[in-house]
Amino acid sequence: MMYLEDIVVGTIRQFGRYEVTEDEIIGFAKTYDDQSFHTDVEAARGSIYGGLIASGWHVCAMFMRMACDAQEGQNRMASLGSPGFDDLKWLVPVRPGDVLSARTEVIGARPSRSKRDRGTVSAKIQVLNQTGAVVLEMTSMGRFFRRPAEAET
Amino acid sequence: MKYFEDIAAGEVWRLDRREVSAEEIIAFATKYDPQPFHIDAEAAEQSFFGTLIASGWHTNAMVMGMLADCIKTQQLVSLGAPGIDQCRWLVPVRPGDVLSGRATVMATRPSASRPMGLVTLRTEVFNHVDAKVVQLDGVGMYGIRPSPGSDATA
Repeated sequence: MMYLEDIVVGTIRQFGRYEVTEDEIIGFAKTYDDQSFHTDVEAARGSIYGGLIASGWHVCAMFMRMACDAQEGQNRMASLGSPGFDDLKWLVPVRPGDVLSARTEVIGARPSRSKRDRGTVSAKIQVLNQTGAVVLEMTSMGRFFRRPAEAET
Repeated sequence: MKYFEDIAAGEVWRLDRREVSAEEIIAFATKYDPQPFHIDAEAAEQSFFGTLIASGWHTNAMVMGMLADCIKTQQLVSLGAPGIDQCRWLVPVRPGDVLSGRATVMATRPSASRPMGLVTLRTEVFNHVDAKVVQLDGVGMYGIRPSPGSDATA
């Protein structure tokens, strides 16, 4: 198990490969973001985007999948979930045929003032497409347990 | 059609109820956030959270679903969104929860560079015991009313 103390500020990771399909864009949006530029190829062509684009929330979900896959097989973090994120920017539309990857940088790791057994990690997240363009960025937060005094590594 | 010019600071848009099922929580998370406390009811019982909880991204996707319904009902000319300044997941969303909420127009301004308007929206969603589960502060882009005689269509 990995704890707050194992997280090193400045650590940069690059990972993931997510192929975006028209079917998946439309399927996600029909359930969660039913606007014509996400669900209707013809209507999207006439929109300000000039073609079908993925829901921004779908791009966030695809990032999360890449992050989970990258974590697989590694030492599990003592995760307490996330309190949220700041400064999420959808910079470039994500379109069918795009291939996404991710880059994360740990920018902070600090113990909680009120609860001594845990702390918060913040990270700058970027999602890139196949041309290297940053399509999404945000500052995310995660809560993690601190290493118990008697715990083994 | 409701254009940017028809949107005023202080307006409150009601977000209709959405029921959350274990099946949907597991299905979303299996595809996008396969952590044990999102996909495995038994493992979730042993976790910090004590029960299955929805992925925060699933919560936000459901909130977007409620907002998209509201956009349709009001015939708002929505053009997407450049981002979210702040998101706080305050209370976990669990199977059986019934979500509802409101989006409050905090400010409006015309875009400096494009023929559209920018609307700052605070979206607050609550569960069936009135606990706020998420608050999103973000900006949306809305179409401006076509001038008379122009051939612009929405």
